[in-house]
Amino acid sequence: MQVSKRQFLKGVGALLAGVSVYGATRTPQADSLLQPEQESEIKYAMVHDENACIGCNACVQACREVNHIPEGVTRVKIERKGPFGEYPDQSYRFSRVSCQHCEAAPCVRVCPTGAAYIDKETGIVAVNSDRCVGCQYCIAACPYQVRYIHPETRTADKCDFCQKSRLAQGLQPACVEACPTKALTFGNLKDPESDLVKLLKRKPSYRAKVDLGTRPKLFHIQTIDGEIML
Amino acid sequence: MSAFHFEGLVWHWPIAIYLFLAGLSAGAVFFAIMLKHFKLSHEAWHSPFVQAAAIIAPVAVFGGLGILVFDLTRPLDFWKILVFYNTSSVMSMGVLVLMAYQLVLFAWIACVFQRRITQLLGNRLPVANRLLSWLVKQEAAITGILVILAISLGAYTGFLLSALIGFPLLNNPVLPLLFLISGLSSGAAATLLGGVLLRGNPNGVEVRFIHGIEIPLILVEIGLLFTFFAGLILSGGQSQVAALNALGFGFWGWIFWAGVIGIGLTLPLAFNLWMKVSADRKFAYVAVTASFSLIGVFLLRNFILYTGQMTGI
Repeated sequence: MQVSKRQFLKGVGALLAGVSVYGATRTPQADSLLQPEQESEIKYAMVHDENACIGCNACVQACREVNHIPEGVTRVKIERKGPFGEYPDQSYRFSRVSCQHCEAAPCVRVCPTGAAYIDKETGIVAVNSDRCVGCQYCIAACPYQVRYIHPETRTADKCDFCQKSRLAQGLQPACVEACPTKALTFGNLKDPESDLVKLLKRKPSYRAKVDLGTRPKLFHIQTIDGEIML
Repeated sequence: MSAFHFEGLVWHWPIAIYLFLAGLSAGAVFFAIMLKHFKLSHEAWHSPFVQAAAIIAPVAVFGGLGILVFDLTRPLDFWKILVFYNTSSVMSMGVLVLMAYQLVLFAWIACVFQRRITQLLGNRLPVANRLLSWLVKQEAAITGILVILAISLGAYTGFLLSALIGFPLLNNPVLPLLFLISGLSSGAAATLLGGVLLRGNPNGVEVRFIHGIEIPLILVEIGLLFTFFAGLILSGGQSQVAALNALGFGFWGWIFWAGVIGIGLTLPLAFNLWMKVSADRKFAYVAVTASFSLIGVFLLRNFILYTGQMTGI
């Protein structure tokens, strides 16, 4: 019995040793959740002013063109609620649904290959499509339901604040540029002089599903039009 | 809302089959080890029930993994899950457990059937014979590790779903335990069914041993199901909505009450209780009871997967 106990311990020890050696190959991108954040000067965020939004979907179209998003999927949706009130005093409410670029992103936590990661330079939640195998765990894990499988690449895709398209050229995201009513404001949360921070300090805002602890970086300024809803 | 197609549905029935097969494999191994350790000892390799488990466990885990790979949108890239990994991902950790499990599973099967394998090989492969005799010396360690890995695998399928924080029915601490216990009972049922199909004695010591464990297992499963839904309802909010939606009068409500509770738990429990320990067991009795258990666990996996994704926060 003593011998078999020792053998058992040896076996468990070998297993643990194997696991710790395997630790050397682990993916660096996914560590952002576990290690203290490296301080970067940039942390991008976005504000959607629901008072200004008229639901024209110009942002959706601009995003589609700039980022080559095929029909059937989209990185951004404008959700419409209403109409509220009797004709002619009717109003709608519009809300932006897109990636919230969470600080504690559930998609990054569950991704088995590290294909979903938080860019340390900018705080953008991005997808490394070379690593993505299409298990769709991130799609199921995202409480905002903004991820989809891109029909051409067959990998997970979503809003990246135009990181690979317009941001790379020093431009604002396509949706911000396209908005005719200036309902969208994009900028650096860490820059107190940015329009984004100034706006957030001036108007009360809310974020979706904060109770899940995801710390989203898409802020909404709630419309004061329409009915009080519970 | 249709039962199999609704907005927000990400994982479909192939995943339910995978969850079922992984639990089944872990359960079959668990009961084969118990049989060998407590009842059969060195005669285990004669037993059709241990033989059935030794066939079912690898076939089920391979089948499940095959389904999983083909359910990827890029099946040919599956190897990336093996190379890259993310310590915070339940799936990554589960894949590690699955890989280790398969390795140790084959080592254990080799130990149990060593005499038979040596007979078959003769003197043709001295290396294999040496490897086998080395493995047999490590059998205690292999068995211990395999028990741990089988339990981990059984619970892992539950953890996989409970990591989805947007769905209160899935993001539930009881789920991994529920999956583990129901997985074990499906493994027991598969072992019994396979055993009698391989002409094992339906009144044998193996059947009596497994049936003895099955009654408490079913009772624990009922208790866990009760805790699972009571917890959701008492939490209120969307958790309550999710629980009541699942248990209501829709398609999935029927699957739960008639399929999971009726066919899967009540009938096998009743059969086990009615059949006194002294009474003789017949082939049909063992096969039907086991089939009901298997159907129940399979329906439970589908029920949890679909109703879980129906109601988000």
